[in-house]
Amino acid sequence: MVVLGPARERREARSARWARLVPYLLIAPVQLLLLLVLVFPSIAAAGMAFFRSSFGIDATWVGLDNFRYVFDDYRFWGALRNTVVFVNVVVYLEIFLGLAIAVLLATQFRLQRLWISIIIAPYAVSAVIAVLMWKFILEPDTGFVNYLLGLLGMERILWTVIPWHAFAVVVLLEVWLNTPFTFLILYAAVMGVSQELYEAARIDGARGFQLFRFITLPSVMPAILVALMFRYIFAFRTFEVVWIMTQGGPLGSTDLLSIYLFRNGFRYYDFGVAAATALVMVVVTAILASYYLWTLYRTMVRDAR
Amino acid sequence: MLGRRAHENALRWLLLAVVIFWSAAPITLVVVSSFKPSHRIFEFPPTLIFTPIVSHYVTLFRQWPEFATTLVNSAIVTLGAGALTLLVSIPAAYAYSRYSSRLLTWSAFGMLAVRMFPPIVITLPLYPIIRALNLQDTHLVLILLYSTFFVSLATWVMKAFIDEVPRELDESAKLDGCNVLQLLAWIILPLSRHGIVASVVFVVVYAWKEFLFAFLFTTSAARTAPAIISEMLGSVTGVAWGPLLAAATVQLVPLLVFVLLVQQFLVKGLTIGSTKG
Repeated sequence: MVVLGPARERREARSARWARLVPYLLIAPVQLLLLLVLVFPSIAAAGMAFFRSSFGIDATWVGLDNFRYVFDDYRFWGALRNTVVFVNVVVYLEIFLGLAIAVLLATQFRLQRLWISIIIAPYAVSAVIAVLMWKFILEPDTGFVNYLLGLLGMERILWTVIPWHAFAVVVLLEVWLNTPFTFLILYAAVMGVSQELYEAARIDGARGFQLFRFITLPSVMPAILVALMFRYIFAFRTFEVVWIMTQGGPLGSTDLLSIYLFRNGFRYYDFGVAAATALVMVVVTAILASYYLWTLYRTMVRDAR
Repeated sequence: MLGRRAHENALRWLLLAVVIFWSAAPITLVVVSSFKPSHRIFEFPPTLIFTPIVSHYVTLFRQWPEFATTLVNSAIVTLGAGALTLLVSIPAAYAYSRYSSRLLTWSAFGMLAVRMFPPIVITLPLYPIIRALNLQDTHLVLILLYSTFFVSLATWVMKAFIDEVPRELDESAKLDGCNVLQLLAWIILPLSRHGIVASVVFVVVYAWKEFLFAFLFTTSAARTAPAIISEMLGSVTGVAWGPLLAAATVQLVPLLVFVLLVQQFLVKGLTIGSTKG
């Protein structure tokens, strides 16, 4: 063994200390960005829920007043009810459509890749363009759908006037925009089901729908749950499509929690009430994400020990 | 027996036709109609055969001269968000792939947990902060915001790709005297270049489409295309649909091409992002 001089020892000790720091320096930018842009503002938002504040007015502590206001506001309950209905309808429709299309495509068509490309195309459409698109198609007087309905002697879709028409239209838009996501996840899952399982089931006499019911469905259930959870979390915060299309109207029929928050915050400049609503949204999101967080904790933190 | 096969096959193709119609018809209708003369836009049934004209595009840029600027802004913000996301995610992905400690584990958990946070919540505190810092109507604000919501996913996707690069390569590069950054640049990145694409596609798509932050935090200098199109949509009266359809086409087609080009990476990123945290 070589005898090291004290200077060299010091140098090596220093570089060893540096080497230990390397991973933390590498993750510092990401963590810093998340802290500054996401975590600190979120804490600030939580704090704002306990103050009354607006433009030109100094923030004053009001305790739980904002929450009292929100929970006494019939529009909040209307928005909450709409959100619950909206999320459930939208998510299950998306899962159903995504799964149906995935199973259909799994039978393999000629030009398969072209069809898949077309199916995921709506993913490239922004909320603004989707609204523009469907406003064009559903134009009350001259649009194609209403013209066709007129020809068939049916009632026109008047989504700017009739509440449930408006609600159905925003559901349609959201489903149209997000089915590519559920399709992609479920298609990957359906394609991953082992062919041997199908063959074994066929030997046992299973046919057609039975194969789907007893082989495909159980095999892709984990993927369905993943898609379900992600879509619940993201559908719950739906804002852009609805704000641009209806701003919550007519008669509050498409008022969602996000719209209620936005209206209080950026139309009435009542930041306290908006922040109280935001806190409600965070709590619901946390509940919806709890399974994800628990899985994450189990696989990353607990099992790592 | 053969008859039944043929029936089944016909049914399959019929269902596929319905699915394709549902996905493609609205997009096709908008793009095609933007090239039709005004009086033929609402012609029923819509026809695919006509002499295309570009007058709606001319009108669009004449009536809304700022539309060109918003397109440039969208491009700047999208590229900026993509670049920043990669810049901060790649080093972190390497660290999470190659090192382990209590602190790293918890920081990764935190990183993936905050991914679920609703963006609308932070608009409230950011509104006054951005004004106080005099950052309203700048590209920087949008770049920072867009990156923040996608660095977790990007880091995790990138980590999955770096995990595939054999560690022996790290060791031999270190023996050759490479430091970590050189090792990343010369050894790791060339071998995980698909991961770079897979981890950046989602933020690119998001940045090009995003409306809420752009609507709130920009007014003119950094206004993006979705924000101004929503403005046009609000001001459209009667049947002046031509320029609007042209604007929609200009905003939509580049991203559509991009999404179709990176299709396989989307699938890869989604699988990693949804099943591994």
